[in-house]
Amino acid sequence: MKNPSNQTQAQRPELPQINPRETFKTFAVIALLVLAFSNFGFVIDLVVNILIFIYQFVGESFGVAIILLTVLIRLITWPLNAQQMKGAKAMQDLQNDKEWLAIQKKYAKDREKLAQEQMRLYRERNINVFGSCLPTLIQFPILFALIPSITYAIGSYPLSILKLSKSLEAFGLQDVVSLIPLNSKFLGIDMGLPERTVIFGFGIPVLALIVGLTTYIQTKLTMPPSANPNDQSAATGRMMSIYMPVMLFLFSVNYASGLSVYFVASNILSIIQYAMMGKVNWRNLIPGGKKS
Amino acid sequence: MRKKNFLFVSILLLAALLSGCTGAIAWPGLSATDEAAYLANTTTVYAVDLSDGRQLWTFSGERGGFSLFNTNPSLFVSTPVVTQEGLVIILDSSNKHVMYAVDPNDVTDGAPAIEWKFDAVDGLWIAPPLEVNGRLFAPNSDGNVYVLDLTDGKSEKQAIEVIQVSQPGEGESRLWAQPVTDGERLFVTSLDKSVLAIDLETYQIAWHADLGGAVPGGVALGGDGMLYVGSLAKQLERFDPVTGEHQPVLDTNGWIWGTPVADGDNLYFADVDGYFYSYNTAEQRLNWEPVQPDASITASPLVIGDRVLVATESGGMYSISAAGEVDLWFQGQEGSQAYTTPVLAGGFVLVAYLESDYYLVALDDEGDEKWTFAGR
Repeated sequence: MKNPSNQTQAQRPELPQINPRETFKTFAVIALLVLAFSNFGFVIDLVVNILIFIYQFVGESFGVAIILLTVLIRLITWPLNAQQMKGAKAMQDLQNDKEWLAIQKKYAKDREKLAQEQMRLYRERNINVFGSCLPTLIQFPILFALIPSITYAIGSYPLSILKLSKSLEAFGLQDVVSLIPLNSKFLGIDMGLPERTVIFGFGIPVLALIVGLTTYIQTKLTMPPSANPNDQSAATGRMMSIYMPVMLFLFSVNYASGLSVYFVASNILSIIQYAMMGKVNWRNLIPGGKKS
Repeated sequence: MRKKNFLFVSILLLAALLSGCTGAIAWPGLSATDEAAYLANTTTVYAVDLSDGRQLWTFSGERGGFSLFNTNPSLFVSTPVVTQEGLVIILDSSNKHVMYAVDPNDVTDGAPAIEWKFDAVDGLWIAPPLEVNGRLFAPNSDGNVYVLDLTDGKSEKQAIEVIQVSQPGEGESRLWAQPVTDGERLFVTSLDKSVLAIDLETYQIAWHADLGGAVPGGVALGGDGMLYVGSLAKQLERFDPVTGEHQPVLDTNGWIWGTPVADGDNLYFADVDGYFYSYNTAEQRLNWEPVQPDASITASPLVIGDRVLVATESGGMYSISAAGEVDLWFQGQEGSQAYTTPVLAGGFVLVAYLESDYYLVALDDEGDEKWTFAGR
């Protein structure tokens, strides 16, 4: 007589095994995100205070302060970015793996089985499927906090200065009265306002164009090579190389140019980090160039 | 394809999230005549009928024309000014830097006709201009006071004089407060921690005085003929309007933001820590210990008869008696904020709000709501 429980066990689809370390990491990141967004005011105050501290330290140049803050954020998130690159590379390699391609073909009409097999491969290759996106997610609170922080800190409008004073007084580290008004000019551009350079009578958003250009270059240079024409990651990367520059350009057109400085600095630092890790594909920039 | 759409929607969502991060950056500007209130509220200036709160017209900047990358909206937050001629001066506080004069009696398709405009400046318009004998004195955040001739009939104004307030090497002289005149001199305050007097005939700087903190508000002409001004240095200073000699007369608990208001021998003002002061200029002393209604105060007080009304950051309108008794006169909606100086016009007290379902409320002399205005 067959054991019913054994039969059930045999028929039940194989569940992915849980990697406790990866699960802990995932939950830690989610908890950190929840904590940051539920205390968003504190995150803003923190970023404002750091920004103003750097501003004083570098001789009251807001543009330099934003660039140095970007460097600081990049240094702090360096391990996360490195992990993201590693995760993205692992996913990319997997997409080109023979076994992966075989199961895609074999289970093309059985999504459930395909998912099981994919999970098995992730497990066998020790790949965390969230490995490439969690480090990005954890940077969101910083980015979101940076927008109001720059707006308040520059204080182009009365309410901004009131909010700045409250942020600084919350930490009690700065002599607010001596600081105001802050020097918001950097290379002749008011960091608190969207930038326009008048060329032949037209107001051209030069800084926003630089944001779009550097974002395009950054996404192109950091796009991993792919030999597989059906590689989903490569296709996503190609889309990102178009959408992201356009999105950041449109965003920079309308917002404080201090934020554009952050985006440009962040793009350049990202390229440097990839270059230092030997993951920059310079040939991606050459039209029709052979992918390395 | 589905994945492409997902990615695109995600990016749009991210952009929308990023766009919502800044919140309000300025409070509304409010002024009124006996017939209409003019409310500069972010992207639109509203003219509101004082009798019933009906919208008369709106103004959102110049219509028509093509401009590449002109996605940056206008920002109207500076207090509109009504000239002797009846034109309404509207300042676009965005980086378009445009000052408009519109005719409220010439309205087509719900918008007033533009009589003239002026945009030859480098900084933001925050301070309302002051009209003196057919000339308009307009302080700008670029550190200059621009003088316009209101009688030249030109539709594209040029400044007849640019008075440079900032001294070389002083840094940023953002001028945020409406100037005040005693008929001979124009008194201007600056965020570069200074107060100065400009000779109205020669346009030369008569005197320049440095204070310990930025001066976002204007000066008040006291009943004793002296000037009074508060600053972020938490001090009330008294100035001789002729020589510029000055001395601190009172230490306050917090920053003084709004322009003090003089009423006879009394001077009323408040600070951002929420304290309200009544200072006797003749006897150089406080009439009573500062009172603290409930929240931060940036607006100037409004004197009505024997009481003073003051708007607070918590949306409260408080009535303070001559003896210093504080009563809650009107409370705005929960979460609303009142930073703008209230205005008395047409028998109503008008209060402008941020973070409220309505932009403007008209109160009668008992503090009862008569109408609200929420735009249309």
